[in-house]
Amino acid sequence: METRPDLQKETTVTKTKNKKREGRSLWMDGWIRLKKNKLAMFGLYLVIIIVLAALFAPFITKYDPYTQLIWTEGRAAQLSPPSAKHWFGTDVYGRDIFTRVIYGARISLQIGIASVLISVLIGVPLGAIAGYYGGLVDDVISWLINVIFAFPFLLFVLAIVAYLPPSLIIMYVAIGVVNWASIARVVRGQVLSVKEKEYVEAANALGSSDFRVIFKHILPNVLAPVIVQATLRVGNVIMLEAALSFLGFGVQPPEPSWGYMINQGRQFLLAGKWWWSVFPGIAIMMLVLGFNLLGDGLRDALDPRLKQ
Amino acid sequence: MLKRILAVILVLMLVAGVLAGCGGGQQATEEPAKEEQQVAEKKDGKYGGIFRKAIGANPPHLDPVHATDTTSAMIIYQIFETLVGLDSEGNLVPLLAESWESEDGKTFTFHLRKGVRFHKTIEGGTPTANGGREVTADDWVWTFNYICDPETKSPRAYFLDMIKGYKDYREGKVDHLPGVRKIDDYTLEIELEYPYTPFISVLAYNAFNVLPKEDVEKWGDEFNFHPVGTGPFKFEEWVQDEKVVLSRNENYWMKDEEGNQLPYLDGIEFRVIVDHTVRWTEFNMGNFDGMQEVDDPYYHEAKEKYGDSFQERPMMGTYYYGMNVELEPWKGNKKLRQAMNYAIDREAMIDLVKNGRATPAKGVLPPGMFAYNPDLKGYSYDPEKAKELLKEAGYPDGINITLQYNTSDGHKRIAEALQQQYKAVGINMDIKNVDWGAHLDSVERSEVPLFRMGWVVDYPDPDNFLYVLLHSDNRGPQGNYTRFSNPKFDELTAKARVETDQEIRKKLYQEAEQIVVEEAPWVFIYHYTTHVLNQPYVKGYKLPSFGEYSAKYTKVWLDK
Amino acid sequence: MYTYIIKRLMGAVPVILGVIALVFILTTIVPGDPARLMMGQRGDPETIELIRKEFGLDKPLWYQFIDFFRRALTLDLGKSYRNNMLVTQAIIERIPVTAKLAAFSMGIAVILGVTFGIISAVKQYSWLDYGSMLVAMLGISAPGFWVGLLLIVLFCVKLGWIPGTGTGEGELIYYVLPSITLGVRPAALIARLTRSSMLEIIRQDYVRTARAKGLSERVVVLKHALRNAMIPVITIVGIQTAYFLSGAIITEQLFSLPGIGRLSVEALINRDFPIIRGVILFMALLFVMINLLVDLSYPLFDPRIKYE
Repeated sequence: METRPDLQKETTVTKTKNKKREGRSLWMDGWIRLKKNKLAMFGLYLVIIIVLAALFAPFITKYDPYTQLIWTEGRAAQLSPPSAKHWFGTDVYGRDIFTRVIYGARISLQIGIASVLISVLIGVPLGAIAGYYGGLVDDVISWLINVIFAFPFLLFVLAIVAYLPPSLIIMYVAIGVVNWASIARVVRGQVLSVKEKEYVEAANALGSSDFRVIFKHILPNVLAPVIVQATLRVGNVIMLEAALSFLGFGVQPPEPSWGYMINQGRQFLLAGKWWWSVFPGIAIMMLVLGFNLLGDGLRDALDPRLKQ
Repeated sequence: MLKRILAVILVLMLVAGVLAGCGGGQQATEEPAKEEQQVAEKKDGKYGGIFRKAIGANPPHLDPVHATDTTSAMIIYQIFETLVGLDSEGNLVPLLAESWESEDGKTFTFHLRKGVRFHKTIEGGTPTANGGREVTADDWVWTFNYICDPETKSPRAYFLDMIKGYKDYREGKVDHLPGVRKIDDYTLEIELEYPYTPFISVLAYNAFNVLPKEDVEKWGDEFNFHPVGTGPFKFEEWVQDEKVVLSRNENYWMKDEEGNQLPYLDGIEFRVIVDHTVRWTEFNMGNFDGMQEVDDPYYHEAKEKYGDSFQERPMMGTYYYGMNVELEPWKGNKKLRQAMNYAIDREAMIDLVKNGRATPAKGVLPPGMFAYNPDLKGYSYDPEKAKELLKEAGYPDGINITLQYNTSDGHKRIAEALQQQYKAVGINMDIKNVDWGAHLDSVERSEVPLFRMGWVVDYPDPDNFLYVLLHSDNRGPQGNYTRFSNPKFDELTAKARVETDQEIRKKLYQEAEQIVVEEAPWVFIYHYTTHVLNQPYVKGYKLPSFGEYSAKYTKVWLDK
Repeated sequence: MYTYIIKRLMGAVPVILGVIALVFILTTIVPGDPARLMMGQRGDPETIELIRKEFGLDKPLWYQFIDFFRRALTLDLGKSYRNNMLVTQAIIERIPVTAKLAAFSMGIAVILGVTFGIISAVKQYSWLDYGSMLVAMLGISAPGFWVGLLLIVLFCVKLGWIPGTGTGEGELIYYVLPSITLGVRPAALIARLTRSSMLEIIRQDYVRTARAKGLSERVVVLKHALRNAMIPVITIVGIQTAYFLSGAIITEQLFSLPGIGRLSVEALINRDFPIIRGVILFMALLFVMINLLVDLSYPLFDPRIKYE
């Protein structure tokens, strides 16, 4: 269900060790390495294609994702198999599945990116504060992180999503609130190791403000693992939405969410009407695959140790 | 070195294995019960065997006094019995009372059946506390006192609040329910505060079964997990979230026409399969003899494949969207509420989304119900009229509303379809789902202007529809969620409650219903149907109009 | 060693207390009255009040919290609102099913994951490497319930190898499909992690030395490299086992298995708060224990790690 990429903490924590390099060259090096990684580039292309499809959805398809053709065209439009007219067939209301898959990318990307953004926004500052200041502040934040970790996360999300009025915002927040802990943990570890570096100590000694030290010297070093984490998380969150749909708590109709489509269409799978479920299923796999390959590639690319 | 790695893996697995081992012991105790299952034996041409039924949820209660849901009721109907029963057409028939009479509709005398015994053993031959003794009027007196006792906290006690002295008993002013009296061992008398015609129907409700005092007292709260009754089947085993197993009551009082001992079946195994797709798949694999709820995606296939053994029929229930008449925008705006009713094409929705498995609703009362009015002037699909009414109601540019429904794929499909139809006349209906608990809660607190709701009768009388769901006394949790209040309507339905002449009652109810239709606190959508899917070799199963869940398996047999 | 265990267990106490507080907050702020829910669709206010009193819901919140806290410390979790069963009993009854599922799916994950991880690492950049890594990525990218359903269709319906869902009479064959469904994801994670840590280790001096000594490749891989590569694998097994419940919720629902996952979802939907609290507490305790076990197993693989 869920990766806990925080287990990479052992590896990521030590990664930037002994590498005092300018931020830019690290990124340039990373990009060059990333370009060499075929799988990662494949992932990147997948993500780009899907993002473009989502952005230009109205230009790609002539149908509207909400229009139910059964009221005008009758039974013929209901669950009609893939054809020249409807590339991916239609669903039980006669909506064009190709169109809904394309528009659905918007929802999945939104949920994935927004909730990960929320977890980054909570996780990075808390992790940085904990790592930088240590002491009681660290104890409290670490305690919070551990509590979240010990809590079965799907139950946590369900408890929020099931009982509160459904909305995309609540879903972002619910998922984001659960996910921040793993980001915070990575950031905290990273900050702890960077803090001891000579240049940070030097900056401190020169009397730079904490704020300045954190932003100027520490956060740039933390950015790489956070980006890797966040990319990998996006895939997970998209899958989580599908799982919530399965339990009946996903995105609300008529929004064309992939999770909702897979789950509604799933029931027609056995009756031979495979297209309602299979196409969004493939779409979700492609997007998640894209983010995961990209995330993996980024990790390899931004990890200077592998450059040998 | 490798050995050590393997050792660790083994240890990790062992830890899990030890945990898993706890279950080993439990399964061992299941064994004797299994051995007892006899091989299907021939009984005068009718085979027994175990009936395997797939159900959609784990029943929360097998204790009838606390059960409120249909899944529990389905099993309770097999273990327990009421004074009067319903036949498959919904008519009242004798059950543990052979006959009854009442002169004034206020005092009822029941003549009890002789030779009815509580289960002697349950759970693989464990003797029950009552020892299989005969049921007498004392048991009924005790049972009614027990149900109405506030200590029992029965959620259905209030169904009996017309029994004489109910209130005094609840408040502790008397130590027993004065309205329920034993005349002799086989005669029971129940007196009401006021004449209440549907009373006999109420007694057929699945909460009011005779209970063995000894076992209820022995188990206390645990009676739920060790139910003992008089019904055709005895309780054997209940694995939570997995299965409930019942076995044949060999001392059951009922015989068939040829004098053979009933029931024919050796037992019933209800297995819980939550997922519709999986349930349907497994039924097709032959893993079950019967299944609950054939979902719409498989409807056509099921009909084609199973023919007559896929039974369906109208059921006494109504599916509606309630409009809270105390909240905006419905408040004081009858025209808007009517527009909501004109805007939807019920027939097309039922045909295309529900595979035709429902009857379009013109009013409140479902067909087959006493006082159902076939000539009722209801709403038909008329988008032009809807637009016009919308304009007159003060919304010439359309209106935005939100429907709240409780999470379910079925409700979602309907809502999505109607959403589209409303859009066509300028009503933008957003839909949102919440879980059942939050739905009920917010609806009852009068916080939701537009909500999905449905009602299936507890007892087959219009009282259970009109009075319960729309009388102003019942606003809130008692059933009137739209908070509809109309003095004329109140008067008519209250009068019909105490009226004993059925013809007059019918007129009163029909007049009352016409008021509701005119005032339109509901979007009347459809009347339910009920259905069951059995394998073709299942014989003797009659689908009750009261709902599939109320079927008794007394005369079911397997011809395989 | 023992002082370390005791220290760790002591450290877990505040986390568990935090979980207790969080679960209480989550289950009390949600809308909807459990007592009302026990009445079915209709109920009379008088009985609702009686039931509220029975559940202790008539008491002020702070009182309920302290009461819950006090009881939880003595493992008195109360009774299910829904059917009056003791919460501890309800959980214990469900453990065997979920534990079996956990054991089998983790077994599958470790065996498949390690095997393919090694093959990929040893044959780096071969088609075998790309192939198994791509399959692993797909395994991570597909929604679990979807994979499960396809497995049912294939192995139950089309091939008829598996009799069906549920637990039958306790035969282990019923666990095959759910375990695969649940094991795919950790298997893929383990494969990728085994591969990357193997790659790292293969390059290290002592492995080179071993090779130079003329040891066969097989011995080198299995004896030297694998042992070290097991550390991250053990970590992932531990973490995935703890996070296994979230996957089990979906899998148990789909395969009609009466385990902890089902228990928690049913409880959530029915506002059976004592059960929800009990399950979450149980899972949190398990999480702490498993993490401890995992940490304790590190020295087995790397003698340099010692706990004092």
